[in-house]
Amino acid sequence: MTLFLQSALSGVLVGGVYALIGIGLTMIFGVMRVINFAHGDLLMLGMYLTWLLFKSLGLDPYLSLVISAPLLFLWGAVLQKVFVNRVLGALPQNQILLTIGLGLMMSNAVMLVFTSDYQILTTSYSSSSFDLFGLSVSVPLLYSFLVTVGITLVLFWFLSRTDTGQAIRATAQDRDAAQLMGINVKRMSVLAFGLGTALAGTAGALLAPTYYIFPQVGGPFTLKAFVVVVLGGMGSIVGATMGGILIGVTESLSAVYIASGLKELVVYVLFLAILVFKPAGLLGKSRM
Amino acid sequence: MRLPMPSLRRPRPAPTRGFSTPALLAWLAVIVAVALVPQLTRKPSLLHLWIMVFLAISQGAAWNVIGGYAGQYSVGHAAYFGMGAYTTMLLLELAQLPPWWGIGLGMLNAVLLSLVIGAITFRLRGPYFVLASIAVAEIIRLATLYWKDFTRGAEGILLSGIPPLQLSETLTVRFVGKQPFFYVALGLAVLAVSANWVVQHTKLGYYFQAIREDQDAAHSLGINLTLHKSVALAISAAFTAAAGAVFGLYVRFIDPNIVFSLPDVSVQMVLICIIGGIGTILGPVIGAVVMVLLGETLRNPKWLVQVGVLGDESPVVAFIEQRLSNAHVLVYGLLVVLVILFAPDGILGVLRGWWGRLGRRAAAAQRPETT
Amino acid sequence: MTAILQIKHVSKFFGGLAANSDVSFDVEAGSIMGLIGPNGAGKTTLFNCITGYYPPSKGEVLFKGVRMNGLQPNQVCRLGMARTWQKVRPLAKLSVVDNVMVGALARTNSLRVAREVAMEQLRVVRMDQKAGALAGGLPIGERKKLEVARVLATRPELLLLDEVMGGLNPAESEEIIQLILELKRLGLTQVVIEHDMKAIMRLSDRIVCLNSGEKLAEGTPHEVAHHKDVVAAYLGEAVDA
Repeated sequence: MTLFLQSALSGVLVGGVYALIGIGLTMIFGVMRVINFAHGDLLMLGMYLTWLLFKSLGLDPYLSLVISAPLLFLWGAVLQKVFVNRVLGALPQNQILLTIGLGLMMSNAVMLVFTSDYQILTTSYSSSSFDLFGLSVSVPLLYSFLVTVGITLVLFWFLSRTDTGQAIRATAQDRDAAQLMGINVKRMSVLAFGLGTALAGTAGALLAPTYYIFPQVGGPFTLKAFVVVVLGGMGSIVGATMGGILIGVTESLSAVYIASGLKELVVYVLFLAILVFKPAGLLGKSRM
Repeated sequence: MRLPMPSLRRPRPAPTRGFSTPALLAWLAVIVAVALVPQLTRKPSLLHLWIMVFLAISQGAAWNVIGGYAGQYSVGHAAYFGMGAYTTMLLLELAQLPPWWGIGLGMLNAVLLSLVIGAITFRLRGPYFVLASIAVAEIIRLATLYWKDFTRGAEGILLSGIPPLQLSETLTVRFVGKQPFFYVALGLAVLAVSANWVVQHTKLGYYFQAIREDQDAAHSLGINLTLHKSVALAISAAFTAAAGAVFGLYVRFIDPNIVFSLPDVSVQMVLICIIGGIGTILGPVIGAVVMVLLGETLRNPKWLVQVGVLGDESPVVAFIEQRLSNAHVLVYGLLVVLVILFAPDGILGVLRGWWGRLGRRAAAAQRPETT
Repeated sequence: MTAILQIKHVSKFFGGLAANSDVSFDVEAGSIMGLIGPNGAGKTTLFNCITGYYPPSKGEVLFKGVRMNGLQPNQVCRLGMARTWQKVRPLAKLSVVDNVMVGALARTNSLRVAREVAMEQLRVVRMDQKAGALAGGLPIGERKKLEVARVLATRPELLLLDEVMGGLNPAESEEIIQLILELKRLGLTQVVIEHDMKAIMRLSDRIVCLNSGEKLAEGTPHEVAHHKDVVAAYLGEAVDA
């Protein structure tokens, strides 16, 4: 039983980060109907940025979020204005190809500058853990989870209580109606992509203390982000949150009860099952 | 800013669909000329380049059938590539089955796999189909990695040797060196492009393209969607598997992360087609040539020296080796971004545009002056 | 005189919404049936049910006496029923003649024969001059004609036209009206959804009026046009042919 609880707990903690990635992706889809295949590479940028700030300025990865998150937001805004904006009305296949291309450019540019060498970011607490009711809790994972919870709450507040947030939701619900009501939908798209990028990069920053950092690390995260988003329903933030936790737990339990080498396979099989049987997601919603 | 769609801006006469004798003769001439290359040069780096181009053409042409003509963007074709490679190599290494039978079985396996994958994924549209195709290929890769007893997992399969092929009493082909692979790969490329030609000039091509343009309209015009998508995918899978098998036999070592790779195989195949010109016969060929030349040059610029294009001490070679090594993926990414944004018909589309403008300028120049 | 199409108590539910509710009528072979009603009345939904786009929730569709429920759209087409779409669906990157050939290939495997059939249909709708043009670049009037030619190339016995005159100017509409009458003369049965009441009155042998998914009235054009429920729900005032 302890084993079950232990792995479930780890799964929930990691799942929080998956949720963060998923929320960013679902926001981009919800507001702009764009399928962003570069999402994992945005996470990778967050990892590298955090690592650089740590190496050069000695900044703690969780504290340096104050710098890295806004920077990533700006980068996302630039990407949207220069590239993504041009494919808003295009076939989804073309959007996918464009974002794949952007992702390839980003991961490869990083490779050219930093080489493919694996980098690690070791803080004083990178491998520490503490005891909670007989279960071992990894400190960095717990920090990540707490930050994720905090960010998610702030995001909920932003989207439901502020004017800009509600404008974003309106654009996601019905772009044309929002425009008719005086909302600058172009700006909403920039905001959404910027936010999505910042969230992905933040997830990267949160993972940096416990993951190997290398240019190609983004790929599997992109796919996992899509699993989370489809599970929770494209465009639903609540769905992405629950989907992330569910995927984290599934992965963790699969590693323990089936085989460590098969944990990703189980997630992808689950993904296929959802796509085929319940493509609208477990929650069946497509609203933010 | 709206996405430019140059092919729809003004109605232009569609290219003729009939059987064109001059074009066929031109193709035959090119094939014969290319086939003579190994007689003119023995430089292994050059022959290697050609082999990689032929394999890329095969892959691009294979994907073109399902992605270009039928409009179903599978980004999981590595599943078939790897299936072809693994079937052939495993049967050769473990059962000593000669690869000319192994390739056939590999293609058969891939076709069967495509029927299963199609049954699962064809009900999905657009991006969901793309995602499902990726998921399937990843599942197969991870399964191959895991079930070591059967597939040797991450250890991979190292080819000990290929048996000689006895074609007749006097003619025996030994698979030593690059020359035999040159001809095998050339043959495969010719077959793959020919398959594209056959598709385009038969009822299949019309039906595939109708499905691509508007699935529901196609359905209401009497087209059995599942059947035709399955046929397109089967053709595509078969040629992809053949390319995978030849690749494996040529490089002599495969492992799941090489032949089932999402970025190196699946995405590459799509890029070859998109960059070259999707949905055309020449497009994948152009895309293959451009991408392989770029890739090999940036990976190993020494071949330019060996061919004599650049001098031994050339600063260009040094620069590439020092700064741009393996930057080819960056260029691929840039190319696909440029194509999607500015040239949706790929390099072929750009070339056709120039050709058309040249033609119009020539015609205008010939018109008599009006006073 | 036989009924080539029989709609028997067809209902279609989407979740809780009844898009079609207990609709019944017959269409005589060789006649033109007009289908009218306000937007959202369920006309296109009925077409979709009839042609296999989705099956009816309840009831039966019989074509030439054969039950059509649950058949796929391609099977429906092969059996001789064809439809056009409210929002035109050209095969944009194919040429005009290739578009029509796709239709013709429903009846032949030969590209040569399909091309001949296609050119013939293009002549009927007077678009043979534009055979080589790209379908996606055509103006709306020609797109509609193209869609009619394409669907005729499948050699239907029953043709369902969904607002084929929508968005056309009077000259183009007249062309379509003449075409429909000509097709009737050649023996084709047609069901026509239209908002243009003058056109419907001219074309139809009988009219069915739908409202909120239910059949409101059925009868000759004159009967329906003066039916008090139809006037109240849709026409506003009685229309005379």
